[in-house]
Amino acid sequence: MMQLECPNCGPRNVSEFRFRGEYVERPHDGADPARRRAWAEYLYFRDNRAGVQKEWWYHQAGCGRWFLAERHTKSHAVENTRYWGGEATS
Amino acid sequence: MSPGRLAVHPSHLIDQSRPVEFLFDGRTYKGFEGDTVASALWAAGVRMFSRSFKYHRPRAPFAMTGADTNCMVRAGDEPNVRACVKLVAPGLNVTPQNVWPSLNADLMSLSSLAARFMPAGFYYRTFMRPKFLWPWYERVLRNAAGLGYVTLETPSTYYDKEYGFAELLVIGGGPSGMSAALSAAGRGARVVLLEESPYLGGHLRHERQTVETATGERLPAYQLAARLSDRVFANRNISVELETNAFGIYEDLWIGAAKRDTRLLKIRAQSLILANGAFERPLVFENNDLPGVMLGSAAWRLLHLYATMPGRRAVVVSANDDGLRVAIDLHAAGIEVAAVVELRNDPDPTLAAALRARGIDVKVRSVVVKAHGRRRVERVTIGQMTDESPSLSGTVDVTPGTREVVKCDLVTVSIGWTPATGLLHQAGGQTAYDTTAAESRVTQLPERVRAAGRVSGTHDVTTAMAEGEMHGLDAAAELGLGDGASTELREKVASLKATQLIRNSSAVHVRGGKMAFVSFDEDVTVKDINDSVAEGYSSMELLKRYSTLSMGPSQGKYESTNTMALCSAANDEPIATTGSTTSRPPFHPVSLGVLAGRKMEPVKHTPMHDWHVEHGARMMNVGLWKRPEHYGDPAEEVLTTRRGVGLIDVSTLGKLQVIGSDVPELLEMLYINRWRKLAPGRVRYGVMCTDEGMISDDGIAANLGADRWYVTTTTGGADGVYENIEWNLQSGWTFDVHVANVTDHYAAMNLTGPRAVDILREVTDIDLRGDALPYMSVREGHVAQVPARVMRIGFTGELGLEIHVAAGYGLHVWETLMDAGRAHGIIAFGVEAQRIMRLETGHFIVGQDTDALTDPYMANLERAVRTDKPDFLGRPSLVHIEQRGIRSKLVGYRMLDAHVVPPEGSQIVVPDSTRPIGLEIIGRITSARYSPTLDASIGLCWLPADGCEPGAEFTARVRGDLLPGRVVSLPHYDPKAG
Amino acid sequence: MSFTLLKRGLRPNRPPAPMWREHPLQDHYDVVIIGGGAHGLATAYYLATVHGITDVAVLEKRYIGSGASGRNTAILRSNYLTPEGILFYDESIKLYENLASELDFNVMFSQRGHLTLAHTDSSMRTMQWRAEVNQIQNVDSRVISPAEVKKLVPFIDTSDRPRYPIMGALYHPPGGVIRHDAVVWGYARAADAKGVHIHQQTEVTGIDVEHNRVVAVQTNRGRIATGTVLNATAGWCSLIAAMAGVRLPVETRPLQACVTEPLKPFLDTVIVSGTFHFYLSQSDRGELVMGASVNPFASYSTDATLDFAEALAGHVLELFPSLAKVRLLRHWAGLCDMTPDFSPIMGTTPVDGFLVDVGWGTYGFKAAPVSGKRMAELIATNRTPELIAPFAYDRFFTGQIVGEKGAAAVTN
Ligand SMILES: Cc1cc2nc3c(=O)[nH]c(=O)nc-3n(C[C@H](O)[C@H](O)[C@H](O)COP(=O)(O)OP(=O)(O)OC[C@H]3O[C@@H](n4cnc5c(N)ncnc54)[C@H](O)[C@@H]3O)c2cc1C
Ligand SMILES: [Zn+2]
Repeated sequence: MMQLECPNCGPRNVSEFRFRGEYVERPHDGADPARRRAWAEYLYFRDNRAGVQKEWWYHQAGCGRWFLAERHTKSHAVENTRYWGGEATS
Repeated sequence: MSPGRLAVHPSHLIDQSRPVEFLFDGRTYKGFEGDTVASALWAAGVRMFSRSFKYHRPRAPFAMTGADTNCMVRAGDEPNVRACVKLVAPGLNVTPQNVWPSLNADLMSLSSLAARFMPAGFYYRTFMRPKFLWPWYERVLRNAAGLGYVTLETPSTYYDKEYGFAELLVIGGGPSGMSAALSAAGRGARVVLLEESPYLGGHLRHERQTVETATGERLPAYQLAARLSDRVFANRNISVELETNAFGIYEDLWIGAAKRDTRLLKIRAQSLILANGAFERPLVFENNDLPGVMLGSAAWRLLHLYATMPGRRAVVVSANDDGLRVAIDLHAAGIEVAAVVELRNDPDPTLAAALRARGIDVKVRSVVVKAHGRRRVERVTIGQMTDESPSLSGTVDVTPGTREVVKCDLVTVSIGWTPATGLLHQAGGQTAYDTTAAESRVTQLPERVRAAGRVSGTHDVTTAMAEGEMHGLDAAAELGLGDGASTELREKVASLKATQLIRNSSAVHVRGGKMAFVSFDEDVTVKDINDSVAEGYSSMELLKRYSTLSMGPSQGKYESTNTMALCSAANDEPIATTGSTTSRPPFHPVSLGVLAGRKMEPVKHTPMHDWHVEHGARMMNVGLWKRPEHYGDPAEEVLTTRRGVGLIDVSTLGKLQVIGSDVPELLEMLYINRWRKLAPGRVRYGVMCTDEGMISDDGIAANLGADRWYVTTTTGGADGVYENIEWNLQSGWTFDVHVANVTDHYAAMNLTGPRAVDILREVTDIDLRGDALPYMSVREGHVAQVPARVMRIGFTGELGLEIHVAAGYGLHVWETLMDAGRAHGIIAFGVEAQRIMRLETGHFIVGQDTDALTDPYMANLERAVRTDKPDFLGRPSLVHIEQRGIRSKLVGYRMLDAHVVPPEGSQIVVPDSTRPIGLEIIGRITSARYSPTLDASIGLCWLPADGCEPGAEFTARVRGDLLPGRVVSLPHYDPKAG
Repeated sequence: MSFTLLKRGLRPNRPPAPMWREHPLQDHYDVVIIGGGAHGLATAYYLATVHGITDVAVLEKRYIGSGASGRNTAILRSNYLTPEGILFYDESIKLYENLASELDFNVMFSQRGHLTLAHTDSSMRTMQWRAEVNQIQNVDSRVISPAEVKKLVPFIDTSDRPRYPIMGALYHPPGGVIRHDAVVWGYARAADAKGVHIHQQTEVTGIDVEHNRVVAVQTNRGRIATGTVLNATAGWCSLIAAMAGVRLPVETRPLQACVTEPLKPFLDTVIVSGTFHFYLSQSDRGELVMGASVNPFASYSTDATLDFAEALAGHVLELFPSLAKVRLLRHWAGLCDMTPDFSPIMGTTPVDGFLVDVGWGTYGFKAAPVSGKRMAELIATNRTPELIAPFAYDRFFTGQIVGEKGAAAVTN
């Protein structure tokens, strides 16, 4: 089983965490009729890279912190993890 | 000494002073403690154990390792048991498999007569016409396939799981593995050593040759095994797990192993050394599966572990020194060696001389062509190889006129070894076929993984031990213990490895004959491979899938190298470019019971659970919770509650405690409706949406004053809501709030009905007079002397008082209320009565009346959606939806016939002759109940947004009948109006 | 016995005819199909047979069937939730029913029935909903009682012992399983016979788009000029789309499956349990074929995990306690292209000439014939057939999300 490093708790089995998906920015003007496509892109469309992807994780069976990981989606190597707006670890 | 057994020797695993009786095929046999089913039966002269998969050919032990499948039997209630590793036990009932009607008179074996019409993948070519007969053909195919059977009587057994941590994990307790463990442990590493056999020593344990230790001492192999094994057991840094099969190497060195077939071991290792050896390689020739044909190492195991005579008169096939030693050991055990058929030109002169000195004929450049015999080998044809052999293909030919037939009851085959690289590949290692060594060699290993001994192509004992030692020291150094192997040791290993004798023959197949099996699991022949490649299944992966090679219960352990060689030959390309198939876990099959372990299905009980059960509640599953569905008569529960009073356990509601100065701001963002002006002491209902604008949860939020709020969610909704709030708070919402999920900390109950206040008043210090506690308000105080929160809310239309107390007081408060209510005729009611009442009131249930595509406009919540707020979850989508308009709406209905309650999920239809049964779906019923209050069949349904006004009639398809219903305005029932 | 087998048996030394041939890679094809799975090959087959378009290349980076098409559990059914879904899958099942004779290759479609178990009152409700919708579309599907389940599946535990006892099931008699590889090979052979070029070991590395129009694809074996490209690469579809500058509403998740050692037949029907997250069937070889939900995070890795095997075994034994001693033999994973609404994406994209047949998630094998047939029709006629219109790429912008999500639990 893969291990993932919680910025708060350190490396833990990935089964302790919940994955929320690729990091996407929520458009601030999504309600604007002219921005409907951009809003739909935010809701549904993803890069779905086969490579390093920035994504959300939640330490569900642990400290309850949400954080961002940069993880390779093929090798599962995790380059770094960090809180939103925080410094990258490792 | 019993017949068929040898004199006692220290290398034996059996105790000939302790007999054990067991059954095979209905007869009683005698073995000894330590015997496997296979060794005991073989010693007793049994030569057929089961029948093969496709042609139902007789099969018997071939490798004696537990890794092949030629001796699979049923033992007790367990199917597909490898007789060669299953220990005998008193009374164990062993039966043959895949036989009908019996082992000796198996009718399906006739299928081998038709083998020429059953090439690989024959079923793809036939049984197609006429189409209606296919189910019948299929039944025949199914009955012929399969091996063991299962019965309903098989009891479920107790299994457990064990977690382990290892600084260094060593897989394989042979010379290299033990050396690795000892050297790492010597540096202070905490080592776990896994070994599948019940003993340490690996192949040393069944060999008698003289070997040399690191210090230059010379002693018999089995003695070296014992010496190393003693040192390992004595070392406190090493913990040894015997009879433990490592079956999977998963990410980040997470290793799965099955211990004694009854316990799953999961180990997180910091470093891994694979020392799990090699499989001896079969030779492919006509009838190479006849009982009595076995690997040289299988004969060794029978002789030296189980004191069992493998035969009386042997033909030894040899392409390496192991073969010559097998011949010497057979002779030493009193077995006549009729001939040594030596594939090489120049066998080791000392060993050859030793054989000749014993009067044994060594025929060089010879090979076995065919085994003869009906149910066991009786004779073999041998011959001289032609000068051109072996060709690129590994297929050898015999010079005409050199054939001779030799009588024998045993053929041993020692032509080479295939490294057991399955685990290595799972760990991420890579190998490439080395044509000179005629085996796959490790080319790349991931970090923290090392390989020693036969698995890494090191066949010589001294070298294997040095290699193990080197890797053990390096692994320790990586852990910060010591500075690794010395340059001297490193160089020694390199030079020893470079100069070792080649153990493998590149000959894999002797031409001629049709029943020359590459796969014993699946009865795949050389011809099947050639045909498949010619048909276009030319890559190893396609070949595997079409011919089913390596798909049988041994996962191709004994056929992989031969398959590669034959596939490359058929493609006329070098074997090195052919590649292999991916090795997948489990490396050894592992039982579902072991994988499952103990039952791990959580159940949540509310604090009042036992009371409900004692009072006759019928409990139902709601998510992880158990809830009372009813206490006998839900209709009566409804009527009593509406007339007087009822109490329901609502502890399963999700509950959040939210504090901080910005709670209203948070709620504004979470819910579609407004919160800012909700005064202390007030409660409001709220609906939450996803950013797609779809309803995700609903509940109430109560302002307790002083920046303290109490929020409820749907049963099962709390975790998701909590996580989502936290996600928002940790990714940009900068509110001053703190949220805690307190679902399990509080018990909750709702006292419902016109008499509710009368009862509560008796047991609370909260002021309930007149308008002191108006609808949708909350008070804190005491109920039954314990601190409580009381909210006046309810979805039944009746006066409802929801009481939340610390979970530990739940039962006390519940019982106090029931006592206080007795005089008022209180009853407890369950989920069903609650559902009826909320339906009578017209409230929808999230997840039942709504689904993942329901927005608030469709659910009649347009007035709650405050798109005039600057933002909230789902707002942009709801703005778009509002502009676009909606297509369907949730409305209340009554069936015209009060006694027809449509099953929930029934469809609302209109006639349309172009549709398959003349109906088009325009809506669906999501909630339906008989209302005892109204004596009516009421519910909620989805209908097109235009044409769903109250009074509109529709047709529902109810159990196949078309029945009329009418849209009505909600609520169905209003106690205040009534 | 078939004539071919008879001939082969009597003339054993003649090598059999090849199923498909190898061709040099041309520098132009009228149509280039990326992905040698069931969808890509079926499209090529119908292009050639129904529309006479044979200047077609199928490009496959490994070997045909190496993607999800050779790794799935091959459950076929048409008892979907939405009328548009049912119509679509029903056509596929009907095509499958005749496929063996059409292709002269036994794809072993075994219609031994499909049971979706309900363990909660909410799943009972969904089953009822599905049964009703199915019946109205004339698809054989009905809710049955635990006693009827027991009659069909004697090995299942219908008592109160499991954590979530069986309350009933949706029974779909025409559902069943098929031999997945045979479908791939059968289509490949038939397409090859009509002149389609199947290029294995040919990986697409780029797509050339000029003025918003596809002009060529780049491969590891050279460039191919073409005006029509079909992306039929399932788990890899986002990567191919990105080459053409198109983004998709897809997340790739591995789905794992496994088989046990072969056993004598004891289970006829396909069993699916949403609550326990597993499904299983017994193959003609006697193996139990089992699967569960997709992996918990996005990935392009096809490694099997121990967690999966442990959870699956636990869940299977809840309902089949007498299988505790049956051994897991082989365990693998394939990639699934998951969409937000559990429905595929088929048809045109914002780039002219760049078509998609993707988003097949965990359920696309059953749809290969109908998708192939209708995508071929679209390519040949330039008009989107009505049957696939609900699955258009544009639906995510217009709010026309498909309603299959309502029934999603374990969705094969
Ligand atoms: C474990 C599992 C169980 C499943 N069970 C079922 C089931 O029971 N019923 C059901 O209906 N469905 C099931 N599915 C889903 C089904 O298998 C897939 O939806 C279906 O096979 C997709 O077929 P395809 O032809 O579109 O894709 P695939 O078969 O995946 O083919 C895509 C091909 O594209 C190739 N490719 C990728 N990139 C490139 C490139 N750059 N250049 C060239 N070629 C490329 C790949 O190598 C691959 O062969 C299951 C899936 C899995 C993984
Ligand atoms: Zn943490």
